[in-house]
Amino acid sequence: MDTIDPIHVQVLAAILFALGLTAVVTRRNIFFLLMGVELMLNAVNLSLIGFARTLPAAQGSLTGHIVPLFTIAVAAAEACVGLAMVICITRGKDTVDADAFADMKE
Amino acid sequence: MFESLNGALGPIYFWTFAVMALASAISLVFICRHPLSAALNLIGVMLSLAGIYALLHSPFLGVLQVLVYAGAIMMLVVFVIMVLNQAKDHQVPRFDGFSIIAIILPVTIGFSLVGFLGKQALKAEPTAVRAEIQPISASLFDLTAAGPGYYILFELIGVLLLVAVVAAVLLAKRRLDDPTPAAEEKKEDAHGHH
Repeated sequence: MDTIDPIHVQVLAAILFALGLTAVVTRRNIFFLLMGVELMLNAVNLSLIGFARTLPAAQGSLTGHIVPLFTIAVAAAEACVGLAMVICITRGKDTVDADAFADMKE
Repeated sequence: MFESLNGALGPIYFWTFAVMALASAISLVFICRHPLSAALNLIGVMLSLAGIYALLHSPFLGVLQVLVYAGAIMMLVVFVIMVLNQAKDHQVPRFDGFSIIAIILPVTIGFSLVGFLGKQALKAEPTAVRAEIQPISASLFDLTAAGPGYYILFELIGVLLLVAVVAAVLLAKRRLDDPTPAAEEKKEDAHGHH
């Protein structure tokens, strides 16, 4: 085998996505939740670029290289607003434990 | 320059980067206690992925990954962690009892995705376009009516980033009705001196 197998790229992306989801649903520190979301977005970017490698140029394989540009910009906006919200809510509670922000259910 | 990497060396580089990314991600999710070390692990994941992007015919996105993700976004994350660091971030427990139930979801999704992908037959296309900056910019700013229309998305992303910046300023500001938060602090400083 002289080139990278696209299946391996997709499997790597799936494992990274599952790891990011694990961080989001199991960790209690609120920073780990945000970083898990970033990891999932990265995994999706890797998947798009991996699929672009399997398409001929005539079928628009450039799309797989352009959509991650927008994903990166959306991730920047998400990190910006998410971290502002973390600053906002830790100011009142003085903790970064996600379980401390369960006021809505009480 | 990267053409030579797609010979026999390509898979070696790919597996090196993949192992680095997986090790950093596992360390982030399961081992790290302090968010700062987790952020450094996430930067490791992003740098490894940038290498894989370059191997997969996308050197421009690899550069953007390093510049924007590992550079700008993670700089912001590290900055906020260090500003909010009350020296007790690491005292938050990593997991709780609910985590044991919650981990079923990602494990199910991961195994079903990997099991599904394992049965597919994807092949690398030799004529796949090399997405350097010239074809990307030509397609992104193709303003003709028959073009793909990515430039509209580009404009919308600009508006989204502007709205996000305004929202971040509004959220992180101490009090909305005080137009000059610096004035209050200056007053407090003056009182402190007297």
